[in-house]
Amino acid sequence: MSNLIGLILPFITVLIFVIGMGYRFYIWTKTPQPGKMTLFPTPTPGGGTFISIIKESFFFPGLFKGDRSLWIAAWVFHASLALIILGHLRVFSGFFDRILINMGVDVDLMSSTGGGAAGILILITAIWLLLRRFALRRVREISNASDFLALLLVLAIIFTGNSMRFGEHFDLEITRNYFAHLFTFSFAEMTLPQSGIFWTHFFLVQLLIMYIPFSKILHFGGIFFTQSLIQKS
Amino acid sequence: MSDENTISHEKVREEVINAIKAIDNGPQVLKLYMEMCARCGTCAEQCPVYYGEPTKERNPVLRSDLIRSTFKKHTTIAGKLLGALDGAGDFDGDMEKWVTQFYECTGCRRCATFCPFGIDNSVITRKGRAIADKLGLTPDTMKSVVKTSLETHNTDGASPEAFKSAIDFLEEEMKDEHGIDIKIPVDVEGAEFFYVPPSGDVLVNPEATTGIAKVFYVLGMQDNWTMSSKCFDGANYGLFTGNDTDMKADNKPYVDEAISLGSKYMFMGECGHAYRIMKMMMEKGKWWGDLPFKVVNCMEWTADQIEAGRLEFDKSKNPMPVTYHDPCNFGRSCGIVEDPRVILKATCQDFREMYPNRGENWCCGGGGGLSAMDDIHDFRMNVSGRKKMEQVKDTGAKYVATACSNCKRQFMQLIEYHKADFAVGGVHDMLSRAIMINGKAAERIDYES
Ligand code: SF4
Ligand code: SF4
Repeated sequence: MSNLIGLILPFITVLIFVIGMGYRFYIWTKTPQPGKMTLFPTPTPGGGTFISIIKESFFFPGLFKGDRSLWIAAWVFHASLALIILGHLRVFSGFFDRILINMGVDVDLMSSTGGGAAGILILITAIWLLLRRFALRRVREISNASDFLALLLVLAIIFTGNSMRFGEHFDLEITRNYFAHLFTFSFAEMTLPQSGIFWTHFFLVQLLIMYIPFSKILHFGGIFFTQSLIQKS
Repeated sequence: MSDENTISHEKVREEVINAIKAIDNGPQVLKLYMEMCARCGTCAEQCPVYYGEPTKERNPVLRSDLIRSTFKKHTTIAGKLLGALDGAGDFDGDMEKWVTQFYECTGCRRCATFCPFGIDNSVITRKGRAIADKLGLTPDTMKSVVKTSLETHNTDGASPEAFKSAIDFLEEEMKDEHGIDIKIPVDVEGAEFFYVPPSGDVLVNPEATTGIAKVFYVLGMQDNWTMSSKCFDGANYGLFTGNDTDMKADNKPYVDEAISLGSKYMFMGECGHAYRIMKMMMEKGKWWGDLPFKVVNCMEWTADQIEAGRLEFDKSKNPMPVTYHDPCNFGRSCGIVEDPRVILKATCQDFREMYPNRGENWCCGGGGGLSAMDDIHDFRMNVSGRKKMEQVKDTGAKYVATACSNCKRQFMQLIEYHKADFAVGGVHDMLSRAIMINGKAAERIDYES
């Protein structure tokens, strides 16, 4: 089982994700758009538009005005997610550790405080987002099974991830070693990590990544398209 | 049901499904909206209709789902594989529900302002209406407005003679007010400015038009502007029925008239959607290629004159508290928000903002052409217009100025229905009452408010 998840699936996942998203972006770019959709107030055309689209995509100011409590949940969720993704780079290679240590950063301390906080915050906000789907009428009536499933999947990933951080001993060296070999296709010398929870986590993550191009989660890329539609004047 | 009916029912289904499948080829905006919604519910929170009555039918996402579900079922991979789990589902053939729901969105675009992705549900609404229109299912009230407008070039079906006598009447009114002849030139070739109001500003609430005539008079530009006895109504309901062919056919005579008059400026009156079509769609989209004239807006122009100190006002003529309602098409869709305020602050003693305002203002509840539909009067009064009434009440204003005939009609009905204690009118109406000509503002005092 771990052979399948650890040796074969990662390549399929990357392939599906890259081709899927690439195809989406290609199609979106190619689909004709006669006429503009300008929505005022607009930023000053040119550089201002670009900055404003970036701002919308990273800070969600429209949502900030539209639904403050959702903004808090959504922003903290996404910001934690970004931190966590960055933090995972450490698991793939010791390279980043060396850079940080050279800069005089206490890597372990940063990981346990920053990473730990992000892990807890994302758990809280994901639960919040899930409860919100039940609690608010206007959200409940528009929620499909896939909306719940996506959130449950994310929650399962967070849960397994957090239990590795806070619970059972996580062997960084073995995991790094595994990824180093995976990335260089040197399967012969590879030793697979022996943690069940690691494989569960890794499997679910891959499931999620493969699902992205086919689900609403592609909004992380699509937002640049939809925002530029209304912001260009 | 007879065989014939069954067949036509099947045919309707087929046509609708095909039209939805075609979204896969564009426009980009619709395709993105089919795939991007995160179903977060923010749009519902900010929609005047859902605010007025939070039912499933009025949730913007579920209205848009009438199209989106079918799109998913037939075109997206997740929709095909997951089916209902992903919210995919086939069109149920219920066109009555379809038409009702798509004619309950005011097209105000407020949802797009607050949606984290800027998803504009009005685009989906317009698509839904376009599909209905192709099948001949546009509500009769709307159909007849479009038909009248295409036949007579104005939505009231008024003849050039009726128009001219209305203009004569306005000139007499101004003579009574100021004791001098202030002209409203008609069909003058070579006039620099070709004024295109909504017909309501000639036939129903004509003070906006007298206001404009007075501005030209004070500037000594009486001979530089004109109206047309054939084209005096910028209103264009093709925007609302989703029929692009009608919209362009309705638009063309105005462009032709501007060219044949030899005007330099198409001078749009206080009508939000008319200006949006002329400026944002026709001119920017180059419907008819490069044109020998520019589209401008009367409020922009008057505000410039005020800021240049060329006009004087006697504010005591407008002592009551006045607020401004940003029409969605002027505010969110054209970005004309400061000019009307310049005019109102210069002409009224007690100008008050309503909140929120400008690009975030709430729709009057009559947008998207709904204002003309008396068949949904109750809905407009109790549902879509509810928020607006609360907003106005909070300002304590006794006069709501707004630059849109459709907003005005909706407001007039709201006022009557809710027995509210304020009046509604245009922006240049306030100017018309306060502008000083030869050192004096208008004499007449028999205004309604
Ligand atoms: S606000 Fe936007 S993303 Fe959220 S439910 Fe409405 S359309 Fe979808
Ligand atoms: S356009 Fe206006 S009325 Fe229509 S869904 Fe959006 S907010 Fe509601």
